[in-house]
Amino acid sequence: MAKKVVSNVKLGVFVLAGLLFLVILLYMIGKNRNLFGSNYVLKARFENIQGLVTGNNVRFSGIQAGTVKRIDIINDTLIEVTMVIDKKMSKIIHKNAVASISTEGLVGNKVVNISPSKIPDALAKDDDILPVKKAVNTDEIMETLYNTNSDVAIIAAGLRTTVERINKSSALWNLLNDESIPENIRISFASIRSTTGKAVKIADDLDKIILGVKNGEGSLGAILKDTSLVKNLNDAILTINKVGNEADSVTVEINKLVKGVHEDVSQGKGTVNALLKDSMMVKKIEASLDNIQKGTDGFNSNMEALKHNFLFRGYFRKLEKQKKKAQ
Amino acid sequence: MLTTASHKKVLHQLNRSFLNEVGGLSRFAGRFFNQAFRPRYEIAEFIRQCFVIGYKSLPLIGLTSFILGLVLTMQLRPSMVSYGVESQLPAIVGIAVIREIGPVITALIFAGKIGSSIGAELGSMRVTEQIDAMEVSGTNPFKYLVVTRVLAATLMLPILVLLGDAISLFGSWIGINIRGATSFHLYWTQVFDNLAFTDVLPAFFKSFFFGFAVGIIGCFKGYNSSKGTEGVGISANSAVVVSSIVIFILDLLAVQVTDALGLN
Amino acid sequence: MDQLIKPEINEDNQELNEPVLKIQNLFKSFGDNHVLIDFNLELKKGESVVVLGKSGSGKSVMIKCVVGLLQPDKGSVIMFGKNIPELDDEELDRIRAKVGFLFQGNALYDSMTVRENLEFPMRRTWIQFSQEEVKRRVVETLEDVGLAHTIDMMPAELSGGMRKRIALARTLILRPEIILYDEPTTGLDPITGKEIIELMNEIQEKYNTSSLIISHDMKCVQTASDRVVVLIEGRCYAMGTYKELTQNTDPKVNEFFE
Ligand SMILES: Nc1ncnc2c1ncn2[C@@H]1O[C@H](COP(=O)(O)OP(=O)(O)OP(=O)(O)O)[C@@H](O)[C@H]1O
Ligand SMILES: [Mg+2]
Repeated sequence: MAKKVVSNVKLGVFVLAGLLFLVILLYMIGKNRNLFGSNYVLKARFENIQGLVTGNNVRFSGIQAGTVKRIDIINDTLIEVTMVIDKKMSKIIHKNAVASISTEGLVGNKVVNISPSKIPDALAKDDDILPVKKAVNTDEIMETLYNTNSDVAIIAAGLRTTVERINKSSALWNLLNDESIPENIRISFASIRSTTGKAVKIADDLDKIILGVKNGEGSLGAILKDTSLVKNLNDAILTINKVGNEADSVTVEINKLVKGVHEDVSQGKGTVNALLKDSMMVKKIEASLDNIQKGTDGFNSNMEALKHNFLFRGYFRKLEKQKKKAQ
Repeated sequence: MLTTASHKKVLHQLNRSFLNEVGGLSRFAGRFFNQAFRPRYEIAEFIRQCFVIGYKSLPLIGLTSFILGLVLTMQLRPSMVSYGVESQLPAIVGIAVIREIGPVITALIFAGKIGSSIGAELGSMRVTEQIDAMEVSGTNPFKYLVVTRVLAATLMLPILVLLGDAISLFGSWIGINIRGATSFHLYWTQVFDNLAFTDVLPAFFKSFFFGFAVGIIGCFKGYNSSKGTEGVGISANSAVVVSSIVIFILDLLAVQVTDALGLN
Repeated sequence: MDQLIKPEINEDNQELNEPVLKIQNLFKSFGDNHVLIDFNLELKKGESVVVLGKSGSGKSVMIKCVVGLLQPDKGSVIMFGKNIPELDDEELDRIRAKVGFLFQGNALYDSMTVRENLEFPMRRTWIQFSQEEVKRRVVETLEDVGLAHTIDMMPAELSGGMRKRIALARTLILRPEIILYDEPTTGLDPITGKEIIELMNEIQEKYNTSSLIISHDMKCVQTASDRVVVLIEGRCYAMGTYKELTQNTDPKVNEFFE
């Protein structure tokens, strides 16, 4: 009899454990799908929904915000997507937030992304229709790549002038050889030259890559699908641009500094004054140099990511081979 | 002449072995539905069978499920890495296990273990006249032996599938952590994030049918076992073979049905 | 052993002469295999009838038709005033509570202990027994067959003779009025066989049952029968007391008594 009770208890635990897992499973999915808790409805009208289906996730700046509830065809060029949004989001999503459709990862589901715009409008209410960002299609990506390409060219050109300016700055050269100026400043000045030089080279590289992609050396079809890749490219361009700007401002600072030092010396204010000024200037310059360094590092890591992306692997290998041959 | 004769013979064979089998099984299932839902209810025996069929199968199902999750993950990893979607591993394994591999593998192992034991047990009871003895004792052996086992198998397999899924996914988490590092919490979040009701519910419902198939076929084979100890062996063996095939057929049907219902 | 022979009782009491079991014109065939062809038999209250027949002559088929395990093709089996082949399950169960059946191969439930084997019919028959009654009767019946100590054993742990006794105890547990024995001594050594026959006689005495015994064991036929029926070619070929039949000159009958 006792044996029977024990086995009944075991059976009970067994069944409950199984059902518990089912409940957890359904609850977690339900939570993700927003079947529980209170919601409100937002809509967006797209020209092309790229295979979005009901039940797909809606994200607000990457935060899970809700799910797609319905998809209605309004007319041959407009499709209305009805989204169920978590009530918590009602204090965050504004009327002018932009909805767009993208893919999660390389082979992931479609998601609706809602991104805030810089100047927020009133908060979005139930049944509001959000503006949409047009879906990126192949032509547009080609255009983007072209623009990216010309952007990079401009940046590279800018960098080149910066380097020129530095190289031409006789004041700087004098400074570097002036033994009255502390060693650390001189080292900083020297490194700015090499850093900017590097930046130029990187920008050129990038330019080449993008050209290469456009000419079909990378798998263009794949690149178009891989949003993270495009993001990598864009990030790389942004950072290199920053580096250029930074380098530019450093050069300006240096020129200012040199001018100041010269003036002080010529007005007989003495080296002490000059040195005092120096140390402040030096800090400023050093900070700038640091930024440049970080920028190039960031750029390099983006480049690394690109290199490791399997789409580009072949391309980079080819580059290396060419280099070896050249040597 | 010869061809028509042999043709006839083949047809006859087919008629005997296959159609006869299908007809007999259908009638047996009909008898089950006819008897299952009217008194008397053999509740104590049903609970005992649940214990034997469900709880006692857990160690085997648990072990195989764990290894399945682990191996599946380790096998998938290289190709996932080469496509740069390693982070999707929990999602992919989760969907694969919950939707298909969990229910089918668990059902097949269940068929191997439970189908054969039901076939052998009822077969030997038939051969040694224990079933007749029950009948003379005023017990409806069909209710006492068949209904309880079929119901227990139908209800216990889904539970085993659920627990097997959980254990498989745990195994997969271990598999992921052999090479990489994903926290338990993150892992489950990723698994759940990529699942939909349409992944879980059809799989859950079809496992009832798998369980029913294993139970009814095991009982059919055992209950109608031919005399002699050889008959028992044949019952046990063919119970496993037939129920395994039927599981695959049902699985195929389930895909079609969920497709047709738009639940995929 | 004079207690075993009691034909006088039957003649004394007119009521006891009413047959408790009456088989009339029984036909049963499996495909082309015509096993029973117009079989007739009567069993009176308190009487022991032995059915003799060669292996495969259809003795088991006949006895299974009696308890409704097999449906005869034709004919009637009247027990307690009811025609067995025509009964529905519920009525059949009511009759079966009054009929014991000892299987040729014992048919003990080998997944259950001896106690559970004996309790099984008590718990499942339509007659309600109290918990105490079940316990008491299991012990009492086990004592009747002299195996009280095996109560918690599994059938597999018992010898063939012991298993036969347990099977007999299970047959007796509902205190049936008619007991059908299918070859109770086959497969046992002569001494054990004799013990079983003695046991059957004691039981008959104690519970005042009527017995239909299938056997081809002459010892059994000799000591346990009031009447002998010879089953040949699917019918009741000859009938009489053991003594009468030993004097029968028909070679087919004579075969059995050599
Ligand atoms: N369920 C069944 N299906 C088909 N044929 C059967 C069935 N049961 C018995 N038979 C056939 O009926 C005939 C009689 O069998 P039965 O078991 O009654 O013999 P028996 O007289 O009891 O023999 P034994 O002394 O060996 O027990 C046999 O030829 C057997 O093949
Ligand atoms: Mg027999």
